[in-house]
Parts: sequence; structure tokens; C-alpha cells
Amino acid sequence: MTQEISIKKNSNGKIGAVMVLGAGVAGIQASLDLADMGYKVYLVENKPSIGGAMAQLDKTFPTNDCAMCLLSPKLVDTARHPNIEIITNADLHKLDGEAGNFTAIIDKRPRYIDEEKCTGCGTCTNNCPVRNIAHFEDVDELGKVHLSQEDQQVIEQILAGHESERAAVISVLQDINARYRYLPEDILRHTAKALDIPLSRVYSIATFYNSFSLVPRGKYVVRVCMGTACHVKGGYQILQALERMLKIASGGTTEDNLFSLEEVRCLGCCGLAPVITVNEDLYGSVKQAKLPKILERYQDESVVAESTVGGTE
Amino acid sequence: MMAKLKPEDLSRIAEKMRRQTLLREGAGRAKVTVHMGTCGISAGARKIMTTLLGLIDQQQVQDVILTTSGCAGLCSREPMMTVEIKDKAPVKYVDLDEKKTLTIFTDHVLGGEIVTDFALGMGSERVS
Amino acid sequence: MIVQPEGIFYQMLTVENIPNLVEEHLVKGRPVDKLMYVPSKGKPPIPKLSDIAFFSKQRLVVLKNRGLIDPEKIDEYIARDGYQALAKALTSMDSEQVIEQVKGSGLRGRGGAGFSTGLKWELTRKSSGNGKYIICNADEGDPGAFMDRSIIESDPHSVLEGMVIGAYAIGAAEGCIYIREEYPLATKRLHIAIDQAREYGLLGEDILGSGFSFDITVHRGAGAFVCGEETSLIGSLQGQTPEPRIRPPFPAQSGLWGKPTNINNVETWANIPTIINRGAEWFASIGTESSKGTKVFSVVGKVNNTGLVEVPMGMTMREIVFDIGGGIPGGKKFKAVQTGGPSGGCIPESLVDLPIDYERLMEVGSIMGSGGLIVMDEETCMVDVARYFLDFLRSESCGKCTTCREGIAAMHDIVADICNGKGEPENIGLLEELAEAIKDASLCALGGTAPNPVLSTLRYFRDEYDAHIKDKKCPAGVCRALISYRIDPEKCKGCMLCGKHCPEKAIGGEPKGPQTIDLEKCIKCGVCRESCKFEAVLIE
Ligand SMILES: Cc1cc2nc3c(=O)[nH]c(=O)nc-3n(C[C@H](O)[C@H](O)[C@H](O)COP(=O)(O)O)c2cc1C
Ligand code: FES
Repeated sequence: MTQEISIKKNSNGKIGAVMVLGAGVAGIQASLDLADMGYKVYLVENKPSIGGAMAQLDKTFPTNDCAMCLLSPKLVDTARHPNIEIITNADLHKLDGEAGNFTAIIDKRPRYIDEEKCTGCGTCTNNCPVRNIAHFEDVDELGKVHLSQEDQQVIEQILAGHESERAAVISVLQDINARYRYLPEDILRHTAKALDIPLSRVYSIATFYNSFSLVPRGKYVVRVCMGTACHVKGGYQILQALERMLKIASGGTTEDNLFSLEEVRCLGCCGLAPVITVNEDLYGSVKQAKLPKILERYQDESVVAESTVGGTE
Repeated sequence: MMAKLKPEDLSRIAEKMRRQTLLREGAGRAKVTVHMGTCGISAGARKIMTTLLGLIDQQQVQDVILTTSGCAGLCSREPMMTVEIKDKAPVKYVDLDEKKTLTIFTDHVLGGEIVTDFALGMGSERVS
Repeated sequence: MIVQPEGIFYQMLTVENIPNLVEEHLVKGRPVDKLMYVPSKGKPPIPKLSDIAFFSKQRLVVLKNRGLIDPEKIDEYIARDGYQALAKALTSMDSEQVIEQVKGSGLRGRGGAGFSTGLKWELTRKSSGNGKYIICNADEGDPGAFMDRSIIESDPHSVLEGMVIGAYAIGAAEGCIYIREEYPLATKRLHIAIDQAREYGLLGEDILGSGFSFDITVHRGAGAFVCGEETSLIGSLQGQTPEPRIRPPFPAQSGLWGKPTNINNVETWANIPTIINRGAEWFASIGTESSKGTKVFSVVGKVNNTGLVEVPMGMTMREIVFDIGGGIPGGKKFKAVQTGGPSGGCIPESLVDLPIDYERLMEVGSIMGSGGLIVMDEETCMVDVARYFLDFLRSESCGKCTTCREGIAAMHDIVADICNGKGEPENIGLLEELAEAIKDASLCALGGTAPNPVLSTLRYFRDEYDAHIKDKKCPAGVCRALISYRIDPEKCKGCMLCGKHCPEKAIGGEPKGPQTIDLEKCIKCGVCRESCKFEAVLIE
């Protein structure tokens, strides 16, 4: 959308309006000062929101003051100032004229959001499908959960097991993770509803901890210890050897869904370093040359049943 | 449901337990402890345990107490077990496998002869 | 004398015996029976545990029941005077007396920071408000440390007993144990122990008929290092995203669900029963001026005897590494000990005679931490170790503070460049500057201590950094970009085992003749070196 801003001229032929490009802290301060002096200010910003880099900082140099504490009042003032008009998500397309009388053409990108109605609560950002696995075909689908009867039963049972707990969400996620070896999307949505907490909270917890996965894992999860003891004894080489053998990167799953490869921080068996686990089986003092044999056990269906006891390789 | 304990019950339980587990209190002739912490188990302690259970069952041994316990501290020499014969100092065996276990069971547990090749040492640790 | 690694003890040696002993045992590998401790006539001699340095140098307080009781049977714990301390506290002491004992013992937190436990209890006790909580921190996040796992696995009741005593002293009615999910066996044994203690009325209503009630629940972590930090752990228990929050208010004022909360490490709790049983003076008689009692260490890495050891505070690093640990395998040269996990530092060989306590470790740029001792030999690259810890912290930082999130990543990239041979001399100054900023501006101790591994390696192993930066060499032969593999034709017997394992088929040569590595194809995975039985594969 290209919108031309036309402004009435003052009696002296000059225009009492200013355009400030860039709504970082400098642009904001300039706009506030100008607006206070009585000028009409158009504050143009490329990003969808104003604030710039300072809004992302924790502290400012050299006083170590809290960045947001300094900035937030200014943001609010800017938004409320009658003399300031904020134009975000926009670029300067063309500038004509001379000092005192410019014509600016600004390209404003669509926001796909009704700016009149949006309250800036931020829930949509948290649920953004790009960052999470959630993907909504159309808006009506939002909130609808499709569970098979079996899944329904499983989740009901898990939830019932933690009914008395005050903060059940982590325990519930752990149980789901134990049952499915990852956290299926529909079940997470059901959980959020059942526990009456926002889906975004569930996602933020699910993505914080290392042991949860949002994508399905293979039948056998190979975990390589990346603890200090294992590191000095060559754990990293073991990881790379496994990556080569399974032809996947750490964090990936083989095409036949048999193996997933993960890193873990210390399994508490540092005395036997380097250590790997395959599901519940733990192997200590692992050597690269022994890896094919360990993997073989799990590739052959018939052997698997009896190999639940780990062994030092 | 057990009755709730009173302070004086503790010593009663302790007494009873000592009679059941300590050889010098007449609990048995020999005691075999397999050390089963995470390290021990991953080094193969469960196989040792199964072997011993099999041996005891097979030979119908009555006077040997077989028990488990946590890690013995020396991870690099797991799996480990301790064999104690009545009135003798306990002996710690290290780096076990099924074959060694069989030898130790026959020679030491049943025969009373320490298998020096597999033994780490005898006696107990200093507890303060 | 003791010959390691076998740990054979020789007694009553005379000068005449020595050549014979060296010849027989050290050269030929045959222990000399006639010089060894002989238990009784006719029996083949084996060493006594009390004569083996691994055991004799240890003093077991926390681990007093290790290997002796079945952790799944409460009666066996009771048979070794278990729950006597609880009975003593409940029947003959009031809560102030218990706190006095703990304060008098000089016990300091074993979770890392080393704050006085008695003082912390007193603070929580004096906080106004009811419904206080106590927490046992079993989220042992330090890589290379497994003290807490082992304590819970071999003697879970000692932790429970300590907690009940603590709850009585503080006036708490509920307790939580937060345990990492990587420890399934410990979790299982903990549940069994709690059930058994409840059955006996040692947990629950009216404990031992005293009118005091207290119960414990177990919560599992889900693999996040930062959850070991106390405010983050509390957040996790409350089902929030576990980011640390600013202190004050300290948990002692406002912790779990806003109530006064006392949080201690597993080992701290496990010390309590013995302190109550044996008295504060007894406990305070062990250790050094400022650090009392014993400390459990996990001795791991490049050392012959890896395992869990408990020693009095004030023992030197040399005794732990060389006497208890039995020295470095393969006759390699000792380089350093890393203590305190990602918040700690490396102690070089020149400081190996340092007595270990909280203050001394701090002075040399490391910390006590939770007790992981990772031994490093000449084949460990200290720059790589620094890179490793930065990598760890980079992925474990919760991301709340900019300095921690971005600063650690920036430091990591610089150190990684150095490892890859792209380092510049001015990088060192930049690292130091970043370290300063990260230390100053981070909210929790994760960021506050994150630069330590870099600073301590810079302090003691500057020459290794210089070798990487100026000579583009990795003296320890670890950093892949700076090394290459070569087979020593003198040593190679032509068994061709290396070629069999080589994933890139980069090794060629005639059977029984010396092999060669095609450096074009070589990806430096090191499998040849690992599998060579003749140590013929060299790194240069
Ligand atoms: C990043 C970070 C990780 C921590 N990890 C642990 C841990 O794994 N175990 C632990 O007991 N304490 C850990 N702590 C220390 C705790 O915050 C807390 O000081 C300790 O549990 C208090 O117990 P104590 O007084 O018995 O030492 C950690 C602290 C930080 C900053
Ligand atoms: S460092 Fe690998 S198990 Fe602890």
C-alpha cells in the first residue's frame, strides 16, 4: 500500500511537520522533543514495532541500568503523544522537495492484523507456527483437538494421575514424553485445555527442557554423553562416529525411524566415560570401533528383547 | 500397614535386622553382596546377580545370604561384589564376569578359599 | 609402599628388597608375595582394604553405609543406627538446639556456594509466615559429578532423615526432592525409601509419636542445567518456565509458592544425621579452619581409579589424584584438575599440593562446586576444555540476560576460532573484556561464573593459547584443525586393524608392512589411534 502524506503549508510557506526515520531510542527521543516543541511528527520505522535495539538489551553501558526501565516510559509517551503519528512496518520509498517542504512517499507493508482490534497481548507470537510445530489450516481449526480414542484414554489417565498436584504441567509432559517418546501436538493442546493454562505456556515449557522433543523420535534413542569426563575421554569423537554411521546429524532421526541421535549432559556414570545409552541400556568405556556392534543389536529385531541389560563395551 | 513406630521401636528393629543380616549374629554361614549402583549395573552387575541366583537355586544352597547394595565407590573396577564368610574378614572382588563369579562361588563361598586372582582386597572401609 | 594401579601393599621393606621388588613387580608385573601383607598362614596373601590407598585415605561420613546396606530395605538402615538422630532430635532437643548443633558443626552447603547451613536454616526459621517448605536439590547438573546420584542410590534414607530433622528445626510441614530425570534408578530407590518411611511413620503425621508432622514429595527435572539454581528450581516446581529471578527476596523469605523455603543439596542433608548423632564438636574436629567435615568427590577423567571418594576437607589434590586415584593411566604426564564444573576452573600441576577447602580453591580461581574432579593429562587440550565449557554454557543459558546469552556465545566463537587455528593475538584481550562484562551484568550465578573456565585456563595455560594462536599448533593433539595423524613405520607391525576400522578407507599398506595414512582422505576421527595395539599412530 502506498499512501501519500500531504500536509498543509504554514503561512511562511514552511511546513510545521517533521518526519523521523527509524524508531530506535534516538528516533524516539528526537520525536518526543520535536513533538513537545509543537511540531507534528511522523515516526517511520521499518520493523513492525518501535523500540529498536535497546528494547532487546538487558542493561545499558556504562551504568548497568535496566534498559527497559529507561525505554518503556518513552515508548508509552510516544504512542500517546497527540503530535506523533507512528508508521511502522514501513520504508521510505521516495523523497522530493527541499528544506521546509518535502513530499515523502512511504511504503507500508501489510500487517495481516486488524490494528484497531489488536491489544498487543503477544499470545500470537508465542503460538507462531514458524517457531513451533503448530500449523493451522484455517482459523476455525484453532483450538479443535483431534485425538484418537486411544490417545484420549492415555491422556485422561495421565491427567488423572496428577490431579492433586498444584503444578502438574511438567509431570504431565514427562508422562506424555515417556509414553510417546515425544510431545504430539494435539495432545499438548488437549493438555493445555485440561489444565486450563495457555498453550503458549505449555510450549514454552516444552521447548525449554532438553528431554522434550516436539518431533517424533526413533524407536531407539541413542544418547551420547557430552559431560566433562566423557569429553576429555573422547565423547565428541564417539558422537561424530555415530553421526557417520547413522548418517544423521545429532538431533536427527534415521529414515527408517529406528534410531534417533541425541546429546546429553552427563549421565552420572562418569567413572565409565565415555558413556552412551540406547533407550534404557547404558554402555560404558565405549570405543569407536565397538559402535557398529552395539548398533547391530538393535537393528536385528530378535536380539533386542534380551539386550535390556547393558554391558561395558 | 505397619504400625507407626515409637522411638524405642528403632532399636528393636535394629536388633532383629542384625540377627537376620549379620553373620556373627548367626544369620548364615556366608553373605554375598553384589554392588548395584548405576555404574555397577551398566558394567554388568545384573548378569552377576542372575548368575549367583541361578547357582544358589541350582545347588540348593541354604546358608548363603545373597543381597544387593549401592555403589562401592570404585567405578573403574565394576562390577564388584563382596564375599563374607562367618568369622572372616569380607573380601572384595572386582572386574567380574560370569565365569569369574562361578569360580568365586564354588571356591570361596562354598569352599572357603579366597580366589586371589580376582580379589581386590579384604577387610572393611574406614567409617567414622 | 603401594604399587599402583594394582594397589598391592608391601610391608616392612628394607633397602635390600627394593631391587628385587622393582624387578619382579614393576618390570615383570608379578607381585612379590613374600613381601606382601599375609593375613594368616597357609592362605595366599591379598592386600587389606585399609592398606590400599584408594580406601585408606578416605573417611566415610556421608557414605558411611555405602556397599553395606540394601538401599531398598529401611530395616537395614535402621540396623546401622538409622533414624536414631531423628529420634534424638524429636525427643530430646527443641528446634533451636538442632539449629545450634548444625551451626556449631560448621557445615557449609555442598551444592556449590558453600553458605553456612545452620545460618540458612535459622534465617528460614525466623522468617514470618506459615506453611514453610524445605527442598532437597538433587538436580546434579555439573557434568562429571555424580555424588548425589550415588548417595541416593546407596543410602536414600540418610537424605530423608536429614530432611525430617531439618524440617523439624525450621518448622516446615512439606518437603520436595527435585531430582534429575537422567537418574532413573535413584528416583526409583527414593520412592521406595519414602514409601517405607511412611509406613513406619517416619514421614507423615505425628512422626515417632512426637506430634511433629512432615511429608516429602519427589519431582523430576527434565534436563535443564539452570534448574539447579535455586530460584530457577522453584520456578520449575511451580510449573513456570524455569528462569532464575532476581534475589532478594531470597527463598528463605519468599520461595516456593511465596512461602519461606530452605533449599539444600543432597550431600548437605545427608550430613545432618551424623552431626546430630555425634555432635557438633565431633564434626567440627574434621577438616580445616573454615571448611569442616568431609567432602565427597567424584574422581573421573584421565585417572586410574575412577570413582566416588569421601575425604576430610584439607586433603591435597596430590593425595586425591595420585594416592586415591592411583595416578594417570599409561604413564602419561598429569596436567590439571578441573573442579566446580562449568562455574569452576582448572588447577595446574604447580598447585597440586594445595589443601582443598572452599577458600583456597577460590583463591586459585576455581570453586569447590558440587565435587566433580576431572583429571586431565598431557593429551587434554586446555583451550579445547575452555571451548567445551563455553559450548555447554551457551546451550544451557536460559537466555534471560543479554550478557549471558550473547556474551557466552561471543566468547565461544572466539575460543572456537582459536581451536580452529583462526585465532589472533588480540583475541585474548577481547576474551578478558567480555569475561568482565558477563560477570558484572548477569543475573544469576550461571552467567556470573561462566567466564571462570576461560579465565583460569588463561591464567595457568597461557602458553597453550599462544601455541594455538601464534604457532597454529595444538600441543596436546586434540584440536582437529591443527593436527594430523601419522603412522610410525618403526612401531607399525602391519596388522591392518586400523585400516579395517577407518571409515574413509584412508589407510593403505601391505600386510605385515608399515601402513600409511592418506592425509587427503583422513577426517581425523582418531579411530586408528584408538584401535592400534602398538601405539604406532602418532599425532603431530
Ligand atoms: C547455574 C547453577 C546451577 C546449580 N546447580 C546445582 C546443582 O546441580 N545441585 C545443587 O545442589 N546446587 C546447585 N546450584 C546451587 C543452588 O543454587 C543452591 O545454592 C544450593 O542448592 C544450595 O544448597 P546448599 O546450601 O546445600 O549448597 C546451582 C547454582 C547455579 C547458579
Ligand atoms: S561426564 Fe559422561 S557420564 Fe558424566
